[in-house]
Amino acid sequence: MKLHLLKLFLNEFKKRKKKTSLITFAIAWGTLSLLLMMSFGRGLSNQFRIGFQGLGEDLILVNGGRTSMDYQGLPKGRAIRLFASDIDLIGRLIPEIKRICPESYNLGEIKYKDQETNRNVRGVYADFGPMRNTIAQAGGRFINPDDVTYSRRVAFLGWHLAEELFKGKNPINEEIYINRMPFKVIGVMMKKLQNSNYQGLDYDHVYIPLSTMALVDSQKYIDMMHIQPTERKYARYVENRVKEILGEKYRFDKDDKYALSVFNTIEAGEIAGKVFMGIEIFLGLIGGLTLLIAAVGVTNLMYAMVKERTREIGVKMALGAKRRHIVWQFLLEALFIFLKGTFWGALIAFNIVSLVRLAPMNYEMTSIQSYLLRPDFSTDILVTFIVIMGILVFFSGIFPALRASKMNPVDALRYE
Amino acid sequence: MIDMRNLKKVYKTGSIEFEALKGVFLKIEKGEFVSLMGPSGSGKSTLMNIIGCLDTPTGGSYYLEGRDVSGLTFDQLSEVRNQKVGFVFQSFNLLPYATAYENVELPMLYNGKKAPERRQRVDELLTMVGLYDWRKHRPTELSGGQQQRVAIARALAMDPPILLADEPTGNLDSKSGEEILDLFTSLWKAGRTILMVTHDTKIAAYSQRTVHILDGKMEADI
Repeated sequence: MKLHLLKLFLNEFKKRKKKTSLITFAIAWGTLSLLLMMSFGRGLSNQFRIGFQGLGEDLILVNGGRTSMDYQGLPKGRAIRLFASDIDLIGRLIPEIKRICPESYNLGEIKYKDQETNRNVRGVYADFGPMRNTIAQAGGRFINPDDVTYSRRVAFLGWHLAEELFKGKNPINEEIYINRMPFKVIGVMMKKLQNSNYQGLDYDHVYIPLSTMALVDSQKYIDMMHIQPTERKYARYVENRVKEILGEKYRFDKDDKYALSVFNTIEAGEIAGKVFMGIEIFLGLIGGLTLLIAAVGVTNLMYAMVKERTREIGVKMALGAKRRHIVWQFLLEALFIFLKGTFWGALIAFNIVSLVRLAPMNYEMTSIQSYLLRPDFSTDILVTFIVIMGILVFFSGIFPALRASKMNPVDALRYE
Repeated sequence: MIDMRNLKKVYKTGSIEFEALKGVFLKIEKGEFVSLMGPSGSGKSTLMNIIGCLDTPTGGSYYLEGRDVSGLTFDQLSEVRNQKVGFVFQSFNLLPYATAYENVELPMLYNGKKAPERRQRVDELLTMVGLYDWRKHRPTELSGGQQQRVAIARALAMDPPILLADEPTGNLDSKSGEEILDLFTSLWKAGRTILMVTHDTKIAAYSQRTVHILDGKMEADI
C-alpha cells in the first residue's frame, strides 16, 4: 500500500464522513456496550473476591459440632467442644499449616463514658489480624502475642463500633468497659469489604486477647478455630487431617459430617470464583453478540454503500483503478469506520467506568453499590476486545470490498 | 493509433446469444478527430467500451498504438486505460465529494505519480480549461459546462494519446456545448487523437471524419 493511496482513501473517507456517521455510531454503540459489560462483570467479580477476603484469606473455619455416628461404642449425639490447647496440637502435627488461631466470642456490654451498647466480644490471638484482614488504622495496632501472653486488658475496635462509641473522637488509649471490666483501646479496624460472616460483621465487634476473655465470659471452650494452610492446594488435605486428629482426641469418626462444623473458604472461594467467571463470560458473550449484530449491520451498510457507489467504482476503473485499489479502498474505509467508532465507544466506556469508580464505597455487605461501583477497565479486556474487533472489521469489510472490485466497469458506469 | 480487424462481440445470456459487433474494421490514425454515429442498438456503445478497454472483444483483433490489447487481464487493461485513454462521459461522472483539483488528480494517484508532478500537472490542466480559480470547488458548485471541462482536464491528466468522448455535449445547453467542442477542436489541433460518439450531425461536423455503425457493422466513411 503506497502512502499516496492511503492518503487518497483517508481523504475520501473524511469527505464522506456524513454518509458513514450512522455506521460509525453503530460501532461506537457496540463498543460501548461490550466494554461496559465486560468492565462491570470484571468489577463485580473483583469486588466479590475482595469481599470474600474480608472474611479472611484462604481460611478453613472449624467449630465443634454434635456427632451423628456411633463410634467405638460411644453413642451419637455427643457435643464436641474445642479448646485453645487443640490449636497447639494441630499446629504441631500438621506442617502444612501456616497460621492457626482460636476465637471465643460472646455478646458483651460495651461502655465508653455515657455511651453503651451490646456487641460481640471476640477473644483471639495476634494471628487473627493478618488471617482475617483485620488491619489497624494509622495510629493504632492489632493485638500482639505479648498481649495474649501477659493477658493485657487491651481492646481493638471495629470501625463502625468505634464511630458509634466515640463519635469522631480518637479512641486510641481511651478506656472502655467490657462487662464492667476496664480495657484500653489500642487500635481501630480499617474499613474493608466483607460479604460473608458468622455472628455479624467484623466492623461491629470488639477484639481482645483470648487470655483476657475469662474476665468477661465464663465459657471455657472456644467457638472457632481459624486455619490457614501454607498453600491453597493443601486446603482439602489440612481439613481432613484436622478431622482425623480431633477425631482421635475426642473420639469421633473422621467421616462424621456433623462432629465438626467446617467452613472451607478456599473451596467455597474457588466455586464462587468459577460462578463469577461464568458471569463474566456470559456478559462478554452478550456484549460480543451485540457487537456481532453491529458488525452484520456494518456489512449490510457497506454492501449498500458499495451499491450506491457503483457508478463511482466504474469511473474509478475507467480512470485506471486496479482491482486491488478498489478492494483496499473499501477495506480501509471499513477500518476507518471501525477505528473511529471504536475510539469513541472506548473513550466513552472508559470515562463512564472512571466516573463510576469515583463514587464513594459503601461497606455494607448487603448493598448492591459495593458490587456495581467498582467496574474494572483492565488491559486484558481491552486486548480481548481489540482481537474481536480486528476479526469483525476484516469480515464486515472484505466481502463488500471484494464485490466492489469484481464489478464489470461497463455495467458499473451504466448504473443509475 | 487504433486498428481493429474483424472485431466481434457476442453477449451470452443463458442460452441466448446476441451478436453486438459482427466483424468491425476500423482504423484511426494519430491526430485524427473522428465522430462515431449510429442509432441506439447499433453496437456503438459496445464498440466504444472496447476501444476504451473497458470491455474485451470475443473475436478479431484490436491494436492500440501497435499493441494487441484483446487478451489482457483486468489490471493490465486498467493500466492501458490509465495511460492511453482519456474518458469524457455524457454525465461528467466527477466524484461528488471531491474538489475539481482532486478529481483531476485521481488518475495520477492510481499511477503513483509524485506529489510535485501531480500538483504541477493539475494546475496546468485547470488553467488550460479556464477553471484554475475553481479548483477548490466541488462538482455541485459548478455549472454543467464547468463540470465537463473539469472532466476533460481529468481525462488529460495522464496525457493519453487518445481522448474518448461519449456524447460529451448531451447534457449541456448549446452554448456550453459549443465551448466544449471548441475545446476539443483546440486539443485536436494541438495533436491529440479524439473519438467522439454523437447522434447530432451538427456536432459531428466539428470533427474531421465521421464513421457510421449500423447493426454491429461499420458503414462507409463520409
